[in-house]
Amino acid sequence: MSSNDDWVLEVRDLMVFYENALAVNNISLKCRTGQITGIFGANSAGKSTLMHTISGVMLDIKKKEAMTGGERITLFGAINFNEEDIQNLQPHKRARKGIVLCPERRQLFTESSALENLKIGGYLADKAQAKKTLAYIFQLFPELQKLKNREAGFLSGGEQQMIAIGRALMAQPKMLLLDEPLLGLAPSIETRLAKAINEIKQQTGITILLGEQYARPVLPIIDYGYVLENGSIVMEGTAEDLMNNPDVLSAYFGM
Amino acid sequence: MELLIYGLINSISLVLMSIGFALAYGVSRVPNFAHGALYILSGYLTWIFLNRLQMPYVLAIIMSLLVAACIGAMLYRSILIRVRGMPISEIIASFGVGVAILELLRWFGLRGTTYMLPPFAKGMVYIGGVPVDLQRLIIVGAGIAVVALLWFFTHYTKIGLALRAIAQNERAAMVLGINADLVATISVALGSALAGLAAVLLLPLGNITVQTGYEVLIFAIAVSVCGGLGSWGGAVVASFLIGLAQITTVTYIASHYHLVVAMLTIILILILKPSGLFGRQKELEERV
Repeated sequence: MSSNDDWVLEVRDLMVFYENALAVNNISLKCRTGQITGIFGANSAGKSTLMHTISGVMLDIKKKEAMTGGERITLFGAINFNEEDIQNLQPHKRARKGIVLCPERRQLFTESSALENLKIGGYLADKAQAKKTLAYIFQLFPELQKLKNREAGFLSGGEQQMIAIGRALMAQPKMLLLDEPLLGLAPSIETRLAKAINEIKQQTGITILLGEQYARPVLPIIDYGYVLENGSIVMEGTAEDLMNNPDVLSAYFGM
Repeated sequence: MELLIYGLINSISLVLMSIGFALAYGVSRVPNFAHGALYILSGYLTWIFLNRLQMPYVLAIIMSLLVAACIGAMLYRSILIRVRGMPISEIIASFGVGVAILELLRWFGLRGTTYMLPPFAKGMVYIGGVPVDLQRLIIVGAGIAVVALLWFFTHYTKIGLALRAIAQNERAAMVLGINADLVATISVALGSALAGLAAVLLLPLGNITVQTGYEVLIFAIAVSVCGGLGSWGGAVVASFLIGLAQITTVTYIASHYHLVVAMLTIILILILKPSGLFGRQKELEERV
């Protein structure tokens, strides 16, 4: 267990309120260096709220809501990245530190071409890094090579997801947050992307936090997993632990 | 022939007038409705630097462009940033600033015909038998250069790509490390400087009047709405459509119809194709 004490990201006692509704209830979790940590839960379990809070987007949502007189959002708890508290850092500063979110539903720059999406992703990278990462992305997803001048909004869901993951990689992440990367994709593409995510971990050593609703396609690639229900962690453990729990199996893994 | 040549010149003038606005609003989606005011302010400042402070012409131009850029940046930092994400408020706030600048200028005595900028070059050439003065030729050259430079800037530089990114999806841009407020500030500052550039190029053809400020804003809106927000080529094509239509009406109907043409274009486009000639956002949204 000695090497397991090496954490990149630690979330401690995190609570997020929308007005008086509790979206994330006292969550503590840790992401080990160079591993894939899974977060599973149904819609509204708090996965995206958690991802937004870790990436810092929640601060922007909070600001805009306050500006327009919308929902009052309250955050408690600590998020530590490499032992540094980042709870109050703006999202672009967190990205600079290495926390990069690949958002739910991809959120591509739909009017720009596939290649431009990747180039925009390389905003933080220097020339050499950008070139190297771009070559890596085309090696990981060779089909993007011939699509690179097509407008991103007109590509298929699977292709868009590949661009979204590639775009996040271009930002030179140390910690990659993948929010439902397999959402709405065909089973064969799900397997393909799960394999690619595992390759990213093995070849680059990037630490990955992966949120998914349906765990089966990603269960083989995760090292450790948490199960969320109504904003709380109801179970955690290694992939085997989760597999061996009959309640979890039927409820979240469709087995 | 005369129609065609002056139509083209007028079109390129429209490109110059509206490109700063199209850059800020179309490309990074920050509406700068003080655009017309900054146009006139730059012209007026150049006149002051030139005539009151006896600066050389080039220095006066550079100074007034810098001042315009600073005012644009301040407008964003101090006012627009507080209402960011609420388009109607952004428009009203920036328009308010624009009206304030223009009416203050009027109050300080910007009236009459004493305020004129000298042309860059005096002289005349004949193109296909039509006399064209050098200032207008310079405008054509500058217009083409500005479009080419901006196209390069928004496609091949990091900041330029970031400008387009925050227009399309601000939050997706943030998590990639793009400082949205900084990029928006740059966009408004650049747009304001372009308004100033248009002013120093175009104002030598006429007088610096407060009224022109409002007209420029209307032209810029007409071009952006007609071309489709966020579409680069669209703004340029729309400038040519409106520019040629204006010259045609001026030649065959009456010279005071050029504003009517711009207004009519806005109305027609909003009825026939609200996303603009080249605006593709709607199509893309439906697909997802």
